[in-house]
Order: sequence, then structure tokens, then C-alpha cells
Amino acid sequence: MASGSSGEQGGKEPTGGAGFVSPKTVALYGVLTALTAAITFVTFVPFAPTKGYFNMGDSMVFFSAFAFGWRAGAICGGVGSAAADVLLGSGYFAPYTLVAKGSEGLVAGLIDRSGNGKRWIRIIAISVGGACMVATYFLSELYLLDVGWGAAIAEVPGNIIQVIVGGTVGSLLAWYVRKAYPTRSRA
Amino acid sequence: MTPGGEPGESVVTVDGVSFSYEGGFEALVGVSMRVRRGEYIAIAGGNGSGKTTLAKHINGLLHPSVGRVTTCGMRTDETSVANLARKVGYVFQNPDHQLFCTTVEEEVRFGLENMDFEESESAPKAQAAMELVDIVALRDRPPFTLSLGDRRKVTIASVLAAEPEILVLDEPTTGLDHHDSEHLMSTLRALNRSGRTIVLISHDMRLVAEHVDRAVLMAAGRILVDADVGAVFSDLELLREAKLVAPPITQVAHRLAPLGVSPSTFTPSQLVQQIEVLRGGGG
Amino acid sequence: MTRFDDLYTEADTFLHRLDPRVKIFSVLLLSLLAFVLSHLLSLILLLSFIFLLLLLARARYSKTLFALKFVLRFMALIAVLWPIFDPSGTPVLARLGPVTITEPAIWRGITSAVRVGCLATVWYILMFTTSQRDLVRALVKLGLRFDFGLTLAIALRFFPAFGSVMESIIDAQRARGMEFEKGGVLTRSRRYVAVLGPAIVTALRTADTLSLALESRAYGARKDRTYLRDLRMSGGDYVALSIAIALLVVPAVARFAFEVPI
Ligand SMILES: Nc1ncnc2c1ncn2[C@@H]1O[C@H](COP(=O)(O)OP(=O)(O)OP(=O)(O)O)[C@@H](O)[C@H]1O
Ligand SMILES: [Mg+2]
Repeated sequence: MASGSSGEQGGKEPTGGAGFVSPKTVALYGVLTALTAAITFVTFVPFAPTKGYFNMGDSMVFFSAFAFGWRAGAICGGVGSAAADVLLGSGYFAPYTLVAKGSEGLVAGLIDRSGNGKRWIRIIAISVGGACMVATYFLSELYLLDVGWGAAIAEVPGNIIQVIVGGTVGSLLAWYVRKAYPTRSRA
Repeated sequence: MTPGGEPGESVVTVDGVSFSYEGGFEALVGVSMRVRRGEYIAIAGGNGSGKTTLAKHINGLLHPSVGRVTTCGMRTDETSVANLARKVGYVFQNPDHQLFCTTVEEEVRFGLENMDFEESESAPKAQAAMELVDIVALRDRPPFTLSLGDRRKVTIASVLAAEPEILVLDEPTTGLDHHDSEHLMSTLRALNRSGRTIVLISHDMRLVAEHVDRAVLMAAGRILVDADVGAVFSDLELLREAKLVAPPITQVAHRLAPLGVSPSTFTPSQLVQQIEVLRGGGG
Repeated sequence: MTRFDDLYTEADTFLHRLDPRVKIFSVLLLSLLAFVLSHLLSLILLLSFIFLLLLLARARYSKTLFALKFVLRFMALIAVLWPIFDPSGTPVLARLGPVTITEPAIWRGITSAVRVGCLATVWYILMFTTSQRDLVRALVKLGLRFDFGLTLAIALRFFPAFGSVMESIIDAQRARGMEFEKGGVLTRSRRYVAVLGPAIVTALRTADTLSLALESRAYGARKDRTYLRDLRMSGGDYVALSIAIALLVVPAVARFAFEVPI
């Protein structure tokens, strides 16, 4: 982000008392996680032939990663999306979602960090992060849940669209929040 | 129906409407009311009485479970919200749910763009709306960095810019200081004089008493009374039932009723006038 | 009252009284059991057992249906698509161009669908009977760092609020003439920003106030944080845990050590 933000760019975790992360970080990650879950919950399209829903949750995963670094991307994206699974009644998907969306945010955030906002690096970040998500779902459905090739493949196109839309909207949001709400001192 | 048609004809008709939210909570029960062109009315009631729910029926954000709503000659369940948005300007209770552009000016022009206005048309309309609520100086600021009062003014300007026939405002004075809220009320009064129909949602009874012609009192999803403010405020029992309190001046007037003061007295000047008349009569 | 209510329903059944840690373990054990069982009949038996528990948990009908909606769709998808992609086995029932439908493949698809049904519904036992506060507390007791637990608690606490905020924002933008159904990908993306942007700003505002509140309440002052109400295992908890372990171990031994086909 624009402001000097030690927490996300530097390798050190900002700490509060007793070796915990700072209250700022706890609050920020908490609300971003809640928002990721809420957005996933509100924007799902019920007829997509997947585990139940097509949603805008990915844009929050990418937004968190681009605006607040890979840690936020991994934690808020992973936990928030997994929580939405639980709340939507697909709890058995939560562990896979945690890994799928967590790795998406983590990888996208890490790659984007080296790009200094260059557009092609961001596109790579979205593609590689998105590939992690799509692959995690596909492989875990095929080999861990044993749902068969049919159901596992049926999910892939929807997930790819989610990456494309989510990546675009997530990047727009990161730019937007910096302009629209610039006063915030970041954690 | 031609825009700016006959004054007095009905522009909003709510007919036997009941509404339940997902989950089964019945927020409106058999509500009927109408708003005539050029009227200035208030919907008042305690928290959770169904004011916002009723208002959202006017522009089709909610459709009745039972009954029907007609706005500017259109059945709301047969028209899109976007279509109704050209007729009904709706200012939301919380300005932060409405604002999203990166400058105030863009924000004010956003609705116009949705309605396919050309740049050459939208610029002067936006300018006029910003002048009306006195935010021209803020035009290049990001809306989210403004004070709550100013953010509220931006949402009002963004709705006024499209020059809607009907203006619905959900608690627009919350968070405004006395000066700003008086300024807003006089702006609304002027808009009403120039022919605009206004529906004001409020539980500030002083504002309602001083500025509005007719009040609809709600409690538990029902309409308790729908009458001229004079009639509404002469019945303290009814107000209590709606979990509202009369403005202090009216309460004083009720106490002074045995001396001959009219119980439908809302403003200090009215009270003073009455007392002077009484004193003049007595001495 | 709103649809953002969580699945938890207050009641006083033995499942509600169980230690949340025991419930978490039991759910994991029963999930593993679903993988141990390979026979359709035994999986149906397991599914019936899970529904019996849900019945005993006095799960609310509407909430169960809501949760089941997504699972049933996925189960149908598995059952329908499996035979199309799995040509192995005999007898062959139909051949349509490159697709071969066999009877065993149909049964395998149904079996997998029922297994997914078990995996999905067994979670409800936990979610219907455990408040979010107890859930977070159990996770912290099980070794989750306190600050992560707090983050999770904050997330759960604000989820319904942000859900309503999102709906209100969507309404507000629609009232200004925005149409979500129209336009290409780019116009649509801009519209999503008009909804997600205000939501994020609201969330960041909340985070600012919240971090002040945390600081002013001496968050992190001591690492060995204490609770007013501690979790303690009772006799019943040990019994329940033993039953859950036996439910997994007995069939697992039967199948893998003695090769009983179950
Ligand atoms: N989305 C919703 N889902 C379920 N119930 C709702 C929803 N929105 C409002 N309600 C309930 O409907 C009732 C009426 O709500 P409404 O917002 O219309 O009240 P109000 O008169 O505008 O109150 P306030 O003065 O607090 O704004 C309340 O009891 C509220 O809890
Ligand atoms: Mg309201």
C-alpha cells in the first residue's frame, strides 16, 4: 500500500503484549474475515452446478492479499471462505476451502509483493494464486472426497470464472480503497 | 400519467399490504395509505415499527406478500427498481451504505449516469444539486473522509440530482447538528413548495410537528393513525402507543389546555402567540 | 431473526450439554468412519444414525432444510455424473457414443453421494448444538493461539452485521438506478466495486474502533489468559467420547484386519 506499512511488507509480525499480534492486526483480520464470509454468503448464485454456489468471495481473497499482504490474504481469505462453507451448511468442504482459498491468497500476495504494483506481475499473481485454488478443489474432490471425475470436473469452469472475476474486482478494490478511504493508518 | 400532473392526485397508493421478511417475521400487517402529489408527509414510529420496510415498498425494493403498491401509476411488482428510481429518490438511513465513488462530484453524478444522462446534461444537474445542499466546496474530496453530516448531504445531493418526483428520506437528520438539520429541513420545505412530493421518515417529533403537513404513525407493523399533524399531536395517548413523545412545546400546551391553550401547538412562536391572545382577551 | 443467524439453536439436550471438544472429536471420528465404510447399506445406516442424532438435538426443521439444500444438489450431481465418467464393470446398461453406462458404476455413484451426505450432515450435529462462543473457546483450549481465537470470535461476531450491511448496500445502489443483471464483464465488475467498496470501508471503520476497544481492555496483557467459565470434562463426556472412538475403531478393525466387507 501507499503508506509505510511495516506489518505487511517487512517480514516481522507486528506484536501486541505477551507475544500476540497487535490489537490493530487482530481487529483488521477479524473484520476482513467476517466480510469475506458475509460476501460469499450474500453473493452466491444458487444454481451454479458446484458445491452450491458461485460467489464474489474470491474478490475479497485477492483484495486482502493485494491491500494488506500475503498474511491477510491467507488468513482472511482461507478462514473467511471456510467459515462461509460452514454457515452455508457445507461444513465438510471447509477444510478443503481453508487450503484452497488460503493458498490462493497466500500465493497471490507473495507474488504481488515483488511486483511494486506492476500490472503484469499482478496478473501472474492472480493466475498462479487462482491455479492453486482450482487445483486444490479438483484434487481433493477427486482423491479425498472421491466424488468421481464427473463432479470434480464440473466444478472447474465455474472456479476459473471466479478467479478471473474475483482477481479483476479484487485489484479494482485495492486501488479503490486507497483512493476512497486514504486516511486509515494501516496495521 | 404526465410528470408534474395534477396536484392532489394520488402518486403512491399502498393497498392492504402485509409483508414478511425471510425467516417469517411479519414487519407490515394490513397497511393502507396514499400519498398525493405535492404532499409533504411523515412516517413516524418507534424503532422496529416498520417505517423503513414501508418506505422500501414505495420504490419496489420490497414487494408486498399480500396487497399491492402503485407508484406513479406503476405497480411496483411489475416494474423494475431501476425504472422506479427515475421517479422516486430514496435517501438511505445510513449514508455509508450508499456512497462509493472517489469524489463527491462523481458520487452526485452516479445516479444520473445509471439513468443514461449525457455528460452535458448531468454536469449542470449535479452542480445544482450540490448548491442546494451547500457542498460545492467539497466536490473533489473523497466522500468517506467527510464528517457524517457532510456525508449525509452528499447522499441527499446524489438523489436530488436526478430530480425525482417523489423524495423519500429515511431519518435524514440523524447525526446532523441543529444548524445543518434546520438547513436541510428548509431545503426540503422549498423543494416541496416547488411541487416535489416528500415522504420523511423520522422519530424526531419536533421536526415532524414543525415542518410536515400530515403524519402516519406506525407501531408493530400497523398504521395507528394517518392524519394532519394537528390531529396527531392532540392525542398524547396515541403517541405513547407509538412509542413517541410529543415535542416539549406541545406537552406544555397540553398542560396549559385548562387555561384555553390549544393542544395542537407545535412551535414556540405559536405558543407565545396564543398566550398573548389569551392575555389580551383577559386584560 | 434474519437469515444471517447461525445454525445454533438453543436447547437443553444431552448433545447441547456435551463438552464442545468432545463434539469436535466425535464429528471428526464419524467423518473418518464414512471413509472406512464402503458398502452402500452401511453408509445408509450411518446416515440414519446421524439423522437420529439431529432429531435428538431438536434441530430446527427450517435450518436443517436450508443447510441441506446445498448438500442435496451436490449429491445429485455426483450420482448423475459418476456413471457417465466411469465405464468400468458389467453388466453394461447402455452405450451412447463414447459414453458407457454400467450398473456397478451407478451403484458406486450413489454410494459416493451418500458418503458425501454423511460427511455434510455430521457437521450439523456440532453446528446445531454448539454456540459460537463455546466453539471458539474449545479451539483455544485445544491449542489455538489466543489471538487467533480472538480474531475468529470477532469474525463470527461481525458476520451477521456485515451480511445486513451488504444487503443494504445492494438495495441502496439499486435505488439509484443500478441494474445488476445488465452489461458485460467490465461494467459488472465496476458494479461489484460499488457494492464491495462501501462494505470494505464500513469494515475498516469497524476495525479502527475495535482495535481501540481491544487496547483499552488490556488485550494481551498476559499470555495465560483465564476464563470466567472453564471447560471441564464430565463423566458423560468421557462416555460419549468412548462411544465415538468405538464407532470408528470397531468397523476399521473389522474391515482392515479381518477383511469384513462393510
Ligand atoms: N432484512 C430483515 N430480515 C428480517 N427482519 C428484518 C429485516 N429488516 C428489518 N427486519 C425487522 O422488521 C421490523 C421492522 O423493521 P424496519 O427496519 O422497517 O423498522 P424501522 O421502523 O425502520 O426501525 P428503525 O427506527 O430502527 O429504523 C424490525 O423488527 C426488524 O427487526
Ligand atoms: Mg428504519
